[in-house]
Amino acid sequence: MTAGLRLRGVSLSRGAVTALRGIDLAVPRGELLVVLGPSGAGKSSLLRAIAGLDPVTAGTVAIGGRDVTAQRPGQRNVSMVFQNHSLLPHLTVADNIAFGDRIRGAGHRAAAARAAQAAATVGCQDLLARRPHQLSGGERQRVALARALVREPDVFLLDEPLANLDAELRLRMRTEIRAVHDRLGTTTVYVTHDQSEAMALGDRIAVLRDGRFEQVGTPDEVWRQPRTRHVAAFVGAPGMNLLPGDGPLTLPGGPATGVELGVRPEHVTLGGTPPDPLGEVERVEVLGEDALVHLTVGGHPLLARVPAAARPAPGDRVGIGVAAEHLHVFDTATGERVPQPTAAGRAG
Amino acid sequence: MVWHDFAAKRRSTVRGVPQRRRTYGAVAVTLLFTAPLALLVTGSLREPGLPPVVAPPLLPDDPGLTAYQQAITHGDLVRAAANSMLVAAVGVPLSLLVASLAGFALARLPRLVTGTVIALSVLAMMVPATALLLPRFVLFRTLHLTDTLVPLVAPALIATSPLYPLIYYLAFRAIPADSYDLCRLADLTPMQTWRRMALPQVQPVTAGLAALTFVLTWSNLLDPMVYLYDRAAFTLPLALRALAAMDPHNQPVFLAGAVLTTLPTLLVLGIAQRRFLHSYAPEGAS
Amino acid sequence: MDRDRRQLLLMLLPYLVGLVALVLLPAVATMAMAFTESDLIATSRFVGLANFVELTRDPAVRAAVGNSLSYLAVSVPLRLVLAVGLALLLHRRARAAGTARVAVLLPGAVPELAYGLMWLWLLNPIQGPVNQLLLLGGEGGRTMFGTLPPQWLTDPEDARAGIVLMSLFTIGETFVIVLTARLALPPEAYELAELEGARAGQVLRRVTLPLLAPVLAVLVLRDTLMSLQASFVPTLVVTGGGPPPYATTYLSLVLYQDAFEYLRYGYAAAVAALMLGLTAVAVLIQWRLLRRWASSGAVGVEVRRPGN
Repeated sequence: MTAGLRLRGVSLSRGAVTALRGIDLAVPRGELLVVLGPSGAGKSSLLRAIAGLDPVTAGTVAIGGRDVTAQRPGQRNVSMVFQNHSLLPHLTVADNIAFGDRIRGAGHRAAAARAAQAAATVGCQDLLARRPHQLSGGERQRVALARALVREPDVFLLDEPLANLDAELRLRMRTEIRAVHDRLGTTTVYVTHDQSEAMALGDRIAVLRDGRFEQVGTPDEVWRQPRTRHVAAFVGAPGMNLLPGDGPLTLPGGPATGVELGVRPEHVTLGGTPPDPLGEVERVEVLGEDALVHLTVGGHPLLARVPAAARPAPGDRVGIGVAAEHLHVFDTATGERVPQPTAAGRAG
Repeated sequence: MVWHDFAAKRRSTVRGVPQRRRTYGAVAVTLLFTAPLALLVTGSLREPGLPPVVAPPLLPDDPGLTAYQQAITHGDLVRAAANSMLVAAVGVPLSLLVASLAGFALARLPRLVTGTVIALSVLAMMVPATALLLPRFVLFRTLHLTDTLVPLVAPALIATSPLYPLIYYLAFRAIPADSYDLCRLADLTPMQTWRRMALPQVQPVTAGLAALTFVLTWSNLLDPMVYLYDRAAFTLPLALRALAAMDPHNQPVFLAGAVLTTLPTLLVLGIAQRRFLHSYAPEGAS
Repeated sequence: MDRDRRQLLLMLLPYLVGLVALVLLPAVATMAMAFTESDLIATSRFVGLANFVELTRDPAVRAAVGNSLSYLAVSVPLRLVLAVGLALLLHRRARAAGTARVAVLLPGAVPELAYGLMWLWLLNPIQGPVNQLLLLGGEGGRTMFGTLPPQWLTDPEDARAGIVLMSLFTIGETFVIVLTARLALPPEAYELAELEGARAGQVLRRVTLPLLAPVLAVLVLRDTLMSLQASFVPTLVVTGGGPPPYATTYLSLVLYQDAFEYLRYGYAAAVAALMLGLTAVAVLIQWRLLRRWASSGAVGVEVRRPGN
């Protein structure tokens, strides 16, 4: 039976390296939470702390309201899918899926039936007799999913499960993972460094950096109202432009010191007229319908995403326009978002 | 032959060395390395008890198995072979068990413990075997175990060679960490993890070490020489030594004994080389 | 956590017990015995360094140290060169290569005593097949090179050469390790060398050997550790330490004879201490040489620990 997950003040260090610093997190029952962050942020450590694979140095982990901090991984009823879709090479697909059941003393027949059912859930029922080395990367990932599902875990942990797949397969698998989650409703923590995967999959996204959460919120919140400059720069493809508050772009009230201004490339309009600042076009990348324009404005690099049909040519000097409501303001010292009157008026 | 030959699939020749030349080389190597064994066999087929002649023909004119009959009866080789088999049947599985359990524990225990045990093992490999005979002899005599087969099985406790637990250690460490995590999530004890996850994955290592352990155990001459006096307890190498000492000039007889002593090790090696060269394709190769 | 740790220690225990009871304690006991006069029957007597003083005057020991060191200096490099050469010859798929690989393993699997008896026959100066083969193509009792055939068991130099010759056929293990290491080398390195137009000799010197260097270093150390003992059974069976007085008397044979034939255990223990000391010195010297080569760049690759 699936259950909610609660972390309080969880810290984790290995030797001199501190991977997690006082993590607080509540995942309600049935939610799919995506943990997003650059490599080295502590994403895998977070999963390992939840699973009990690495002992926490401080704090508590609770699953379904019961404190599991002192329990062994095997007692917590969580299951995990690894990035390398670790399958045991000496077992068939069916035996791999049934491995845990058999260990826990299930009969051969019962375990095989459950394995077949789990395999059908993720669409790998035709592979049951094969061995891991006969499978493609995507097939292996399906089998790893089935193996994790067959346990009917309280919490389902996925550690960058799609990172080793090619782009097309990654898109297809993420849709399927979401579909399986919608069907089974298992509480899930999904780790990735791919922000588009996070946006597409998550009920909520938790952005992790340096062992701390920078922001936890719905994909929409994280995109529209990034709580720190790091979240702003990390989420989005490409991320937000960040310029000094007294640089080429200014707030309606005039230049401001001690703050940074952020604007998403999608919200930069080109071809404005004075008093808009002029920027010089350095390079243009056409991405199908859109084009990515690299500009220099007042000595600062700036990215704009514009319709490919309306793109300028390298060397052009174009006016740069940004609507005031699309300006994000961050405190230079703390990196935190500074609330704006305009934004406050609009936010619901 | 079943050797996996990844590099060779790519091209059949290197610059300047066509494949045919390699084949000639391989044939020459085969002849060179099997020649001593072939000459051992032809030497054993000669009629025993003849006066020595200068340069007898390499292939005897009248090959026969008389030397074998005499070797078996004079040397009491059947009983000796039974003793050797008993020692191998107990000692080899025990030795592999000790080696694989220790290797697994080393792969999972903290670095400090592992490092210490590895250092001790390397030290143990440096100690000359002959230097250990004496104290071990005192030990087994105190326990009234000389003239039994126990001292011959005892080296199984150090896995026959301290090298073998280290080989298992490397093999178990090469298994991806994810597989160990998987077993912890399934709440397997270390023993269960060893038996159900780790051991099946290192079968080629086990096959190779089984062959090596068998050869070492079967060939052991030093220990029986020190611990065994009663002919009834003699192992095959010791009985062969007695046979050779009995009539050192009757070459066909001791050569026949040598052939009989050698056959089981070649047999085991032949079986094992197919197993330890066959392995699961590495993950990611397709 | 605790349960797992306890069970792991339990799994390690049998080996640890064996290591301590059968190797480490006996080794310590031997070292202690080196300072006594003992025949294991009467009580032993502390004699200080007397055994070691006697070692320096014992002609058998002096001969044995010389023989052991020259065996080490000749046999270890020859075995390694041979094993590497065979591995490089046989690592590619070619007709008969697979059979040849197995053939190389065979002599090493022959039980030591049978191996010794086999060579006793092969090297017999008059009847033995080796000299018969050498005499093929020669005239008047001379070999094809016009020399007299070697007197393997009666001439000191020839006898020592015979012992080395015997050691050259038991390279199976070393061969397999080099072969495995060679097969594991990245093909890209060779393709790169080929694109640069390297000749076979250059490929060997600049690609293969540097990449194999860590493995070869370990093999040299291991062979050194074993070589002081490896000569024991052959000398016992084939030459008996002769031709007289001490042409093929190696330290392991001196130790065995002192202990189990002359029953001078204390003195034998001193010989054991000497052997251990020599082994340690040999390993240390090689280690330092290897370190120096490594730091001067001749050995380009660090020893990598698998799994890291």
